[in-house]
Amino acid sequence: MTSEGELLDGPLSALADAVSSGATSARSLAEASLARAEKARDLYRAFLSLDAGAALRQADRVDRRVAAGERLPLAGVPLAVKDNINVAGRPSTAGSRILAGFVAPDDATCVARLVEAGAVVVGKTNCDEFGMGSSNENSAYGPARNPWDPSRVPGGSSGGSAAAVAARAVPLAIGTDTGGSVRQPAALCGLVGWKPTYGRVSRYGLIAFASSFDQAGALARTASDAARAFTVMAGADPRDATSLATPVPDAEAGVRTGVEGRRIGLLAEAESAEGGLHPAVGAIFARTADALRAAGATVTRVSVPRVSLAVPVYYLTATAEASSNLARFDGARYGARRDGDSLASMYRGTRSAGFGPEVKRRILLGTFALSSGYHDAYYGRAQKVRALLARDFAAAFRDVDAILCPTSPEPAFPLRAKTEDPLAMYLADVFTVPPSLAGLPAVTVPAGFSDESLPVGMQFIGPADSEPLLFAFARAVEEAFGAAGRRPPGAVS
Amino acid sequence: MRIDPALVSRVASLAALELTDAERDDLAGQLTRIVEHFEALRAVPEELLAAGEPAPEMPLRADEARDGSPGALVESNAPGFAHGHFVVPRVVSRDA
Repeated sequence: MTSEGELLDGPLSALADAVSSGATSARSLAEASLARAEKARDLYRAFLSLDAGAALRQADRVDRRVAAGERLPLAGVPLAVKDNINVAGRPSTAGSRILAGFVAPDDATCVARLVEAGAVVVGKTNCDEFGMGSSNENSAYGPARNPWDPSRVPGGSSGGSAAAVAARAVPLAIGTDTGGSVRQPAALCGLVGWKPTYGRVSRYGLIAFASSFDQAGALARTASDAARAFTVMAGADPRDATSLATPVPDAEAGVRTGVEGRRIGLLAEAESAEGGLHPAVGAIFARTADALRAAGATVTRVSVPRVSLAVPVYYLTATAEASSNLARFDGARYGARRDGDSLASMYRGTRSAGFGPEVKRRILLGTFALSSGYHDAYYGRAQKVRALLARDFAAAFRDVDAILCPTSPEPAFPLRAKTEDPLAMYLADVFTVPPSLAGLPAVTVPAGFSDESLPVGMQFIGPADSEPLLFAFARAVEEAFGAAGRRPPGAVS
Repeated sequence: MRIDPALVSRVASLAALELTDAERDDLAGQLTRIVEHFEALRAVPEELLAAGEPAPEMPLRADEARDGSPGALVESNAPGFAHGHFVVPRVVSRDA
């Protein structure tokens, strides 16, 4: 008989099958996962809150449903949820002091769908404040750490979700991806991570950062596990006006498909990216192209000319949206209030005490980009270049089925390496923000390791609704290199 | 362009943020560096920025009323709540 520990280390399908067949129970798995999650919290600050009572009640409900004969695709799968996604009755701080003590009134739609499919929410994970960061060092509750090397960042902003899955506390975590916040930490922690086509997964219950970019996504250890999460999370939702009503493409069928005859374009601008590529990333990019060729794909180079402008466009438009979205945090209705003798002084005092430095920086940048006298030159121009970049992608997809590029220009970097240089931190997003600007799906997959044994991820970007093909490419890379599923030295048991 | 401390103060006031003098001076330097880097966008030729295809029309959902009652957690999450309302500092007074 397989132990709960082995099931937590293995594929989601085997875990759900074991619960469905009665070989183990959702409660036993939740108990084992909670014990590991406590260790991941203490070692890597992966979790901001754990709720054993709620998790075990949820697990017992799964066991009752299974006993009643229900077939659940995620039966008993322990799940970690980024702390800017609401889970009913549990805290949602979004990594910010301003939401200390806030308890979510209901489930985000993506959480409700995962729970309905049998998942058990073990805890809420650490993240950069409001999803703003690429290292998890902007969390008001301290930085999460990377289980591959605790002196390094796990990436961000979904750093706690990545650390929790990499450490083997849970086999599945969800996060939000505004400009790469699922994909970059997944890459830095040796995981598969995806963002969907804009609108494919409901945004209801996500704490908004930049609404024309924000999407929920998932982090798992294999492409098959990630595809199953997509199948469960995707779908129309009347509570999100931007959710797509078109049929959800079949990602689980897609991931089982080969890539023979498919056309992959290597991003021509990747090697000239500002700041350059880490040597290991450049070498693995080339090896991945060779592996896809060996798997039968047609590999060419493809240019997306405006990709080099994606970081400026993103940081002008996303911060502009943030300056508006975060206006709701004023101390009046929820969160930590700083009293004042007038309404205006309460607003200013609450926001100044409650927001951290990076959030303030982005609110100021976005307010500047929108302000009278500067709007046309900054926000307006960035919006026009955003549209141009989307046209660049559309042109590229006339010649190829998907584009390959590194997920991050470098593997996990040491803590504090970039905290004094916000621009350097922004430039690390050079490969993740382009698909976000164009609303395109993207999947990162582990493709190798640096000399320091740090994982390196490669990213596939496709046209709208190409998730099944992107998972197929990810699986081809897994099969070529076997890098997915490799256990970090800091895994807990 | 250079973002000087006076401009930072003006933008902070629009954003309802209070900054110390040291924060304001640091932010002026950081934002100047960021915005100067972002001026690469000016190099894109105007003719390329002409409107492309119009954005697809947003489908509108049915205009149906839903129960928007916020539930009990709204009260417990509020910093101040009384008689079914959020309590905030006095907005209107006789001597204002």
